Amino acid sequence: MNAQGNSWDCLVIGGGIGGMEAALTLGDMGFRVLLVEKEASIGGKMILLSKVFPTLDCSSCISTPKMAATASHPNITLWTYSEVKSVEKKGNGGGSSGFNVTIRRKPTYVDPSKCTGCGQCEKVCTVARPDQFNASLIARRAIYIPFSQAVPRKAVIEKSGTSPCSNFCPAGLPAHAIVSLMRNGKTEEAVKRFLDDSPFVGTLCLLCDGFCEMRCTRGKRDGSPVPIKSAMWHLTRRFEDFSVGSGAGARSGRKIAIIGGGLCGLTAAYILGQRGHSVTVFEKESKVGGRIRRKIEELKISAGIFEKSIEQIASLGVEFLLNKNISPDEIAEIRQSFDAVLLAPGSEKEPQEWLGKNANTSRYFQEEAKIFVAGHFVKPDATLAEVAGHGRAVARLIDEFLTTESLKTSTDIRSFKLVKGKKTSEGLRYFFDDFEAQKAMSRCLDCGVCCDCRECEKACPANAIDFNMKAQDVTVSVNAVLLATGFRLFDPSEKTLLGYSSYPNVITSMQMDRLLAPTRPYNAVLRPSDGKLPGNIGMVLCTGSRDITIGKASGSSQTIRGNRACSRICCMYSIKQAQLIMGALPIAEITIYYIDIRAFGKGYEEFFEQARGMGTHFVKGRVARIEEAKNNDLYVYYEDMEGKGGLKRAKHDLVVLAVGALPERVKMTVLGNPLETRLKQDSIGFIKETNENIEPGCTEIPGVFVVGTACGPKDIPDTVVHAGATAAQVAAYLKQMRAV
Amino acid sequence: MKDSKNLPKILVFSTDTISDPGIDLAGSTHMDYPATTYVISVPCSSGIDPRWIVYAIEEGFDGVFIAADGTDCPYLPDCTDRTGQIVAMAQKMAEEKGLDPRRLKMAAICSVCSESFVSHMERFAKTLQGLGTEK
Repeated sequence: MNAQGNSWDCLVIGGGIGGMEAALTLGDMGFRVLLVEKEASIGGKMILLSKVFPTLDCSSCISTPKMAATASHPNITLWTYSEVKSVEKKGNGGGSSGFNVTIRRKPTYVDPSKCTGCGQCEKVCTVARPDQFNASLIARRAIYIPFSQAVPRKAVIEKSGTSPCSNFCPAGLPAHAIVSLMRNGKTEEAVKRFLDDSPFVGTLCLLCDGFCEMRCTRGKRDGSPVPIKSAMWHLTRRFEDFSVGSGAGARSGRKIAIIGGGLCGLTAAYILGQRGHSVTVFEKESKVGGRIRRKIEELKISAGIFEKSIEQIASLGVEFLLNKNISPDEIAEIRQSFDAVLLAPGSEKEPQEWLGKNANTSRYFQEEAKIFVAGHFVKPDATLAEVAGHGRAVARLIDEFLTTESLKTSTDIRSFKLVKGKKTSEGLRYFFDDFEAQKAMSRCLDCGVCCDCRECEKACPANAIDFNMKAQDVTVSVNAVLLATGFRLFDPSEKTLLGYSSYPNVITSMQMDRLLAPTRPYNAVLRPSDGKLPGNIGMVLCTGSRDITIGKASGSSQTIRGNRACSRICCMYSIKQAQLIMGALPIAEITIYYIDIRAFGKGYEEFFEQARGMGTHFVKGRVARIEEAKNNDLYVYYEDMEGKGGLKRAKHDLVVLAVGALPERVKMTVLGNPLETRLKQDSIGFIKETNENIEPGCTEIPGVFVVGTACGPKDIPDTVVHAGATAAQVAAYLKQMRAV
Repeated sequence: MKDSKNLPKILVFSTDTISDPGIDLAGSTHMDYPATTYVISVPCSSGIDPRWIVYAIEEGFDGVFIAADGTDCPYLPDCTDRTGQIVAMAQKMAEEKGLDPRRLKMAAICSVCSESFVSHMERFAKTLQGLGTEK
């Protein structure tokens, strides 16, 4: 359908109910719409809700068809897991000239055309994260399918860069992956993962200063990092009785000569052997190993482990030519009979002598001689781990060189420096068994989220995992922009007196909605501290709305202090929850603490009366603070306004904070000549409509429209109506543009 | 699972966006339904060919269940009528071939109708058990 390449009539930002409805309406009118959603699935907040008020229709049942319709509409292009980076007015900015919009398509690391949504990857993933689609009540994995009704139902991997431990490993080892595998009791897999990058399980890390622990965020937080070095050393126990691989797989038929059988040369030989190349190592002494062998012999550590590593290398078909001292003159000859040559003869040799005056020791690849160099040969002061890193890096370059006949990756040699005055490592700890190691590893904070253990890659039956995926910035041309960015719920940890972050049984209304939803996590309404069915539930309205004390100014002019506004939805959703809880737990007593009950819509007042009729207690009075009683029960302190007055205390098993709707932090500036125009906000921070009485959905920038809760709190029916109205405004604008 | 040999083999046609997530939810919430249920997902139930249904029964399935979208279908407003016609045709074809038309059933399953799916499966399995095996 996208006949005009990268151009659409309208861009809709946000795939919640408002965005979907507007996109569908515009699509039905024949306009071509691009819908961009930042999460991996469309549906917004509505798909997560239990029921809608006042009709008590099942929320997900009525929003899935909308989601499916949006995804399959011929006029709608759906880009999930993407974010808008910039919006620029075309031309000189005068009149209606359309926009150039840059959209970042975040890497999902899963090929959506191959993923079938089977969920095998979730079962093997070793990293747990709070599930944002279940209001953090349960955990999901770093690789996850958002929820079973997700559209599209494809897995994505959450990855925020490389974790510092892995990133700062001079040997390029996946420290985070190994920690993560060990904490999941997968010690065997951890050894295998180590062997993907280096044959020197344990020994290499023993001789390293421990850059991983030095950079560990856990260490920065509480002074004691995750004992990664000890974990690596623990792996040797499993490695000792590990059966050596039965040779390499498919052979490439390419031949590589490596001069120098030290740590660097051996690591390179190992990595190249894994990729099916035939490697010959020339070593001047009678044994390979060089400096690392001498160090290990000095330390009197079981030499068996080191020999095992050498066996591992030999099993890949690597040939060792011992007692072969190669002189610089012989290089040209060797170059003739091999596809690539790596020089790693150690620090005793002079690069100039071998490569001529133009030797560049800051690069792995010598352009002139077409020879690779690495190790102590080019960097005599490097640590052992760094040299192993050279071997790994240069091997990858050689592989790239041989398979693609060119080098796209940078060939610069990265250097690692110790942080001055910082203790490098905690020293070695010996774990009694795997379980003890597992316990120590559980302190990992998963800085980079995905740990790169690659268990999902092994488990995926469709081969859909692709860790080479990169973020793409795509510039598209659109005639109108429609913001459907929605709202955010108030974070009650800001109001410390309500104890949300200190007491387990104080939950938010979104969490309560998840507990009541048909797709709920525990299939029952339970309280968090002990999993008991709550018998006496309190609901605190106006948490974060009609409250000028929240939102402490953080210095920025954009931060708006306090929220005087009513969120419009909290009274009704709390009444809805009260009715649903009574259905789920017939014995439960429910008390709603309110300032005013705002039941303004069609059928709302009747809905309120119905809840009252069912026996919900309504107490007029603001809750000042919440304290914890025995057994994690809670005391609610409130002002009794309708009764005898005064401060009162009530006891509840579970307290639900009806959190208010706050503006999503949208800062949109339309770039372009002659001036940049910033999107105006109202006094609370919602996007300002030019005139909400008679011009719904229009902003002060021509061609930019706003829909739904992005311009103010709204319930679902109002959002849908507003979406229809705004779609009509956009349609009129687009028609006018075409007419000009 | 012990007596899964005695359970009737059921083929379920679900739809990608509506009934399949509902059925998926039944599994992910650990609900119990006959292990001899096999689910094939199609984009829209109105695209099912009646010959497939008859073929499935001939090839050894005891029953075929169509988990239709009902009014939720994102493609067609008259999806239910169309699917209903397919079912009627398939039942006629089955009868002509001497197969019991009760081996075919259709119901609307929404995207969170996991409980209703499970109860449909249990009841359908019971019905099929009563019918015994074909020939």
